[in-house]
Amino acid sequence: MHIPDAFMPIPQGIFYWAIALVFIALSLRWVRQEMDETKVPLVAILAAGIFVIQAFNLPVALGTSGHLVGGALAAIVLGSPFAAIFILSLVLIVQGFIFGDGGLTTMGANILNMGVIGGFVGYYSYHGILSATRSVNLSAFAAGWLACVIPALAAAVELWLAGTFPLELGLIAMGIYHALIGIIEGGITLVALRLIASVRPDIVEISNGVGA
Amino acid sequence: MDSWRFVAAGIVIAILIAIGAVYLASPAPDGLESTALVVRGDKTLTGDTPPDAGVREDPAGRLTYESLLPDYSLGDAWGKPGEILALTTGILLVILLIYGISRLVARPAK
Repeated sequence: MHIPDAFMPIPQGIFYWAIALVFIALSLRWVRQEMDETKVPLVAILAAGIFVIQAFNLPVALGTSGHLVGGALAAIVLGSPFAAIFILSLVLIVQGFIFGDGGLTTMGANILNMGVIGGFVGYYSYHGILSATRSVNLSAFAAGWLACVIPALAAAVELWLAGTFPLELGLIAMGIYHALIGIIEGGITLVALRLIASVRPDIVEISNGVGA
Repeated sequence: MDSWRFVAAGIVIAILIAIGAVYLASPAPDGLESTALVVRGDKTLTGDTPPDAGVREDPAGRLTYESLLPDYSLGDAWGKPGEILALTTGILLVILLIYGISRLVARPAK
């Protein structure tokens, strides 16, 4: 879902960068207010894990592959969508500048899609579904799936505005492919949430169905 | 589990994922690339991706940028071990950035 420079006119990229910078500033406020030194190791490992697992494309059918994005996982584990924005921004900056994965002019759009939209959708859908169903497993899977599909649809709209994709075909193709990729996102979000809660129950508490 | 053991275990797991990614990751295009191929008519919505299909990334008026380690690789001469090294570099860089920024802006532990 990493939009390359070629897919978007530079002025539109600057527009999304401006929006992204506001959320990056808010995420740094979250770091200052909420992240004490006991949480730093978890945040660092979560970010490293999201970075590397994004390089691990799994086949999903229809001639397409996909990987974890990680917005929902970061937001659920750390208890805030701003945590996802902080982690995804850093991951996308390293991927773009060092490895050429995702553009530089489009990095703001990528941060907006995967970090901001992914983080907010993942966090609030997890807690909304959890309060309705009391099922951590269902909530984590559904939150991961939604945090993959909805940012993909946002990217389709942005790329329609960029003149790169037609609206209808862009939404259909991005929706179908990411509905499949979202199964990976939901599955890994669920498994990783359970794994992290088992080794760091001091930070992530899901045993009573309450969630992080 | 104490913090240093947690970080060490996390780095080991991340490097194992990196090795898996280098040898096992699917070469098929991701969802965005597949959509671009469908839009260009190089792929059908539900069909396989032709082996020679590729996404053009250098149209006029757009930024072109040569990254330090493009495609998570140290170059052809280094092969797969170079890709593992590139990903390990990224893993360590992300961890250092998190520690650095956190040290700059986070409040001290109570």
